[in-house]
Amino acid sequence: MDTQSYLPVQPGVGMEENFLSLDDILLSHDRLPIRTECSFPRLGFLEKSSDTQDIAEGTKMELPLWLSKGLYERKRRVVSVELPKVYRQGWRTVFNADPNVVDLHKMGPYYYSLGSQMLHFDSPENPDIAQTLLQTFIGRFRRTMDSSQNAYNEDTSALVERLDCLEKGLFRSGQSGLNGFQSWEKGQATQLTASSLVLNYRKRKITDVQP
Amino acid sequence: MDPSEVEFLAEKETVKIIPNFSLDKIYLIGGDLGPFNPGLPVDVPVWLALNLKQRQKCRIVPPEWMDVEKLEDMRELERKEDTFTPVPSPYYMELTKLLLNHASDNIPKADEIRTLVKDIWDTRIAKLRLSADSFISQQEAHAKLDNLTLMEINTIRAFLLDSLNCMYKLRSNLQPGSSKGQFTDY
Repeated sequence: MDTQSYLPVQPGVGMEENFLSLDDILLSHDRLPIRTECSFPRLGFLEKSSDTQDIAEGTKMELPLWLSKGLYERKRRVVSVELPKVYRQGWRTVFNADPNVVDLHKMGPYYYSLGSQMLHFDSPENPDIAQTLLQTFIGRFRRTMDSSQNAYNEDTSALVERLDCLEKGLFRSGQSGLNGFQSWEKGQATQLTASSLVLNYRKRKITDVQP
Repeated sequence: MDPSEVEFLAEKETVKIIPNFSLDKIYLIGGDLGPFNPGLPVDVPVWLALNLKQRQKCRIVPPEWMDVEKLEDMRELERKEDTFTPVPSPYYMELTKLLLNHASDNIPKADEIRTLVKDIWDTRIAKLRLSADSFISQQEAHAKLDNLTLMEINTIRAFLLDSLNCMYKLRSNLQPGSSKGQFTDY
């Protein structure tokens, strides 16, 4: 069994993010297409395409998710967030037809998490988005399960290449179950091995400790 | 859970041995064992049986179900039925491995038994995956795991629990506001 010196915090997946999850931090840097609803004085340096000092009202630009979430308010309209392409009607039809053919790593790689985050922004399409996310997950589940439980001792990069980050996590836990069982069956589990913590432990050098 | 932990639990099962030494009753926290008399069968836990066997102090009598004909019937039944059939022992896989690895000379047709048990195991795992898939695709909330053994559950546990967690979160997206107020400690 893999032992690690720390326990990685799982991504929040739903509407709430996990503050300490590395995946969610990376996710919050995904860019969203937005449209400004009022002018932003003296922030023109953020908008690389024009040389003006201010960002005018009605400018279309891209902002990271964390900033869009902060600026978005229902009552005072500062920015309006547009849906990224993968969550729009056209792609939703594709996902509903056959979720297995889509390369979610290229589309995402945080397809599910970003989709859930999109629900923060009021949009009439929100229920459809949530439904599509769920259906996509269910539709792709069988393949993730079968590939993770059958690929023993082989190169899995081809299998995980089209998976979303969330599904990759699932794939890993499936593999840990399979590997654990296989090594038990072969009798490798009875051999004592050094803990990975000890193997990775390095002696601190005196120069590192002293200022 | 690690498979070796499951194996450890399996070693508590009792098995019949025929000792070739004599010893009074021994008193252990888990219960009293013995007395041991040469040639008289006695029930002991698997861990003790294997230890005695390794020191060549006993002969292990294979459990009743560890028999080619019975296992063949079981395999046929397992393949015919859509649901899980009752297994002879909650630790059938672990016991087969332990006993066959350490005492194959006491078990007739050891190789055939090994293959049969592996066949049964494979059939059951395929069924388990099939039912996990239908469980997810129908978005069920609970399932009954009748006749499943610990080892079988253990191979799929991590994967299934993680997927169910994800599915639950994606589902709670459907009802806005329902995921509020959940706190996790780190």
